[in-house]
Amino acid sequence: MGVSSFISAKLAAVTTVTMLSLSAAPHMAHADECIAPSNPGGGWDFTCRTIGRILSELDLVDGNVQITNMPGGVGAVTYAMVDAERSDDEGLIVATSTVGVTQIAQGRYPSGIDTMRYLGMLGADVGVIAVAADSEYETLAELNEAMVADASSVVTAGSSGAGGWDHIRLLMVAREAGLEDLTALRWVQFDGGTDAVTQMMGGQLDVVSTDLGEIAGFVESGDIRILAALSTDPIPAFPEIPTAISQGIDVTGYNWRGLYTGGNVSDEAYNAWVEKLETLYNSDEWQTAAVEFGLVPIWIGGAEFEAYVREQEQVMAGISRDIGIIE
Amino acid sequence: MSIRLAGVAIFLVAALYAWTAQDYTASFGDVLGPSVFPVMVGIPAMALALSLVVFPGGSVSWPSGPRLLRQAMALAALIAYALLLEPLGFPLATAAVIAAVAMVLDGPAIKSVLIGIAGSLSLWVLFDQLLGLPIDFLGTLFGG
Amino acid sequence: MEILTSLGLGFSVAVQPLHLALLLFGCFAGTLIGAMPGLGPVNGVAILIPLTFAFGFDATASLILLSAVYFGCMYGGRISSILLNIPGDEPAVMTTLDGYPMAQKGQAANALAISGVASFVGATVAIVGLTLFAPLLARAAIYFGPADYFALYVMAFATIGGLAGVDPRKTLLSALIGLMIATIGLDPATGIPRYTGGSFDLYDGIDPIVALVGLFAISELMFLLEKTIKDRDTAIKLDTWIPDLKVVFGTGWATVRGSVVGFVAGVLPGAGASLGAVMSYSIEKQVSNKNGSFGKGDPKGVAAPEAGNNSASAGALIPMLSLGVPGSGTTAVMLAMLISLNVQPGPLLFERQPDLVWGLVASLYMANVMLLVLNLPLIGLFTRLMAVPTWALMPLVVAISFIGVYSISNSTFDLYIMIAFGVLGYVLRKLDITLVPLVLGLLLGADMENNLRRALSISGGDYGVLIASWISIALYIATAAFLALSVWLALRDKKRAADAS
Repeated sequence: MGVSSFISAKLAAVTTVTMLSLSAAPHMAHADECIAPSNPGGGWDFTCRTIGRILSELDLVDGNVQITNMPGGVGAVTYAMVDAERSDDEGLIVATSTVGVTQIAQGRYPSGIDTMRYLGMLGADVGVIAVAADSEYETLAELNEAMVADASSVVTAGSSGAGGWDHIRLLMVAREAGLEDLTALRWVQFDGGTDAVTQMMGGQLDVVSTDLGEIAGFVESGDIRILAALSTDPIPAFPEIPTAISQGIDVTGYNWRGLYTGGNVSDEAYNAWVEKLETLYNSDEWQTAAVEFGLVPIWIGGAEFEAYVREQEQVMAGISRDIGIIE
Repeated sequence: MSIRLAGVAIFLVAALYAWTAQDYTASFGDVLGPSVFPVMVGIPAMALALSLVVFPGGSVSWPSGPRLLRQAMALAALIAYALLLEPLGFPLATAAVIAAVAMVLDGPAIKSVLIGIAGSLSLWVLFDQLLGLPIDFLGTLFGG
Repeated sequence: MEILTSLGLGFSVAVQPLHLALLLFGCFAGTLIGAMPGLGPVNGVAILIPLTFAFGFDATASLILLSAVYFGCMYGGRISSILLNIPGDEPAVMTTLDGYPMAQKGQAANALAISGVASFVGATVAIVGLTLFAPLLARAAIYFGPADYFALYVMAFATIGGLAGVDPRKTLLSALIGLMIATIGLDPATGIPRYTGGSFDLYDGIDPIVALVGLFAISELMFLLEKTIKDRDTAIKLDTWIPDLKVVFGTGWATVRGSVVGFVAGVLPGAGASLGAVMSYSIEKQVSNKNGSFGKGDPKGVAAPEAGNNSASAGALIPMLSLGVPGSGTTAVMLAMLISLNVQPGPLLFERQPDLVWGLVASLYMANVMLLVLNLPLIGLFTRLMAVPTWALMPLVVAISFIGVYSISNSTFDLYIMIAFGVLGYVLRKLDITLVPLVLGLLLGADMENNLRRALSISGGDYGVLIASWISIALYIATAAFLALSVWLALRDKKRAADAS
């Protein structure tokens, strides 16, 4: 048994390896490349891997798209590298999201938003305000009332640090509700949305603000209750969840997923990328993959997206200033 | 003596560490803030390092001159590798570092070079081809 | 009965030819990747994720492949720990403590066999635990709050006091240095960079595996260079290539204890395999270090941490599957992959996708058996490595370490960090400061700090929160009892030694 299983393991290894080297071969040619500025796993990695896969499935690029992970500084290392070395590389796209823009707005990247050309967003995760199933807060109004009355009595948490996107969008809700001293609200950082939610189920926390995608399972199982979705329209998968807007709080908080390319890429190449991405967005493959990953497919591309990113940066910088994260 | 010196060095690093921590203030954030934990770690480290200065325990015998030279040569080879990996490309740089370290370890010259060449090529195949972790074959010097 | 039906379903999924082939390939590739210094289970799983996409495997097949790799890495990590004193990955650090001395005494084959059998038992205990109690344990784990985690880390650091080395001051100092290094990088709670000197490369902190490889592999090279060629190659003799069954099975109780301790550590999200290995070793040392043989090549010192780290790795699948909370870096990568395959781990996974869950559980049983069967015959092959002259083996080991690190981060910056840690490791070892507590500090430091800060944020700055729950009180009592026992044992040994003379 020992010997035969050893041999079949080797056989399995050899076959797989042969197939793998065939699939790995094209990167020797100068292929298009997508950099995920993070370790494998997580949102940016998903963006690159999924988009890279579908781009070649739809024959929008020659051969495969090479995926490179370049973690560091929540995307800052990649930002600096592209700016310094590859700002005119027309075959390079880089994954980014609301998180990247937050970092830029708070001055945590080596250079500003104008250094890159933003191509488009292909989907977004919707922010939600959640409480445990046995929570005293039944509606967003009740929570807002409690926060405004005594902000320090509510323990809130999410997957970002203080001043990160999960925190900021909760503060946007609180400010809209009339809370003036935003710094009085207690915020606890966890490594992920599910970490925060399970701690809330264990009775440690009152409120969690994070993306819906990661915690949807707990909504379906009835362990937690969503007080508000921070989207313009109800979320297709959970039509019964009320939006904040429908409860009189005019706040949206998407975590979009998109791509940028170097700042010195020609208009021609930029427009070609935007066109390819729009074709990809409209494909069944992307629509399915996005929904499976818990995203709502949304397309904003080209000049419109450039404007959107700049406006979002302004909003983030404004609220960061208000709560004292930046000068 | 070595222990005392190390104690002084660790004390200085820990003191600098705890001192620097005081600059880490967030006008906004959690209750404890980013500076308390480093201070909690730095101060006992200072105390322990100081105790090693006052009551050193154990003794150290450092290697003799020729051996130290060999260690320095090995480190130099490793640093050179980090410097030259991207310019020279993977197989060339790796073959050189393997051969250099082998010779520092008293390996016969020709065999060391052979092991370097064989080793670097098979590692390139293993990582780039089999494991799918792309490593450039040619360095930036050769337009790779 | 219900469980048996479910398991039956699971095995019917697992024995499909594709799944079997993936299982075998995963075990083999995992052992190989785990054995290479610089590449651990996180990298192994990350390397194979593109493969699962490339072949269009479904979620069940992907998860089976990745779990087999994960388990394989845990097996493989110990090989270089024992033979070269260089851990293949983080949890294998503890195995160097007694594994390498055993190899130096000529018992490499025994050490490899013990670690193989202990790994098997540890993983099996944890999988049985997973089969029987997964949803229940996951429900219990959510009551473990930040203050309780902090208490757990305090306990871990208290127990390493009795680890190794002559001077407890040095052991503690080593742990503190590790904690200091752990604070380098962006502070997660506030986003402020600490101790980075303005370098973006340091914003994500020091990658433990980079530090680990530098500390052990490069410092080992420095030590080898201290000796002349004559001292080096006669240093290790090999008594036998065939393990002695009496020695292997003499570690039975150590293995069982290690498995149980490791399992508990694994089920708690965030504790993980390294903590499992450390706690298993420390507890075993207290229980059975009768004549001071620990640290000098005691077989039990190999069995306990190996059972512990494998049991913890399998245990970590429980919070990942039933809560969606990863218990370790590896399970975090697996989680991300599952989500991208439209599998939402969480409270409903067991009900909604029973074929996936039970197929995975059954595959784990099989992977474990395969790994044992695959690994035992390889012992003879691995021990032959000892016969390769140092001048030929060491350069290759160093090269693999460098490439492993470079291929993951694509930056030479990490190579410099690794060399710096090599020099640090060499100097500390010369000063008789053991490196294991440093690695532990580096691995657990960030979580320790974050949980302390979370606990205090929740309480609004009231330190009473740290002893407000029964869980943390119990952990502090256990810590105190452990310390008291250590002191009592030390005094007793001293008295006996005095009586004898």
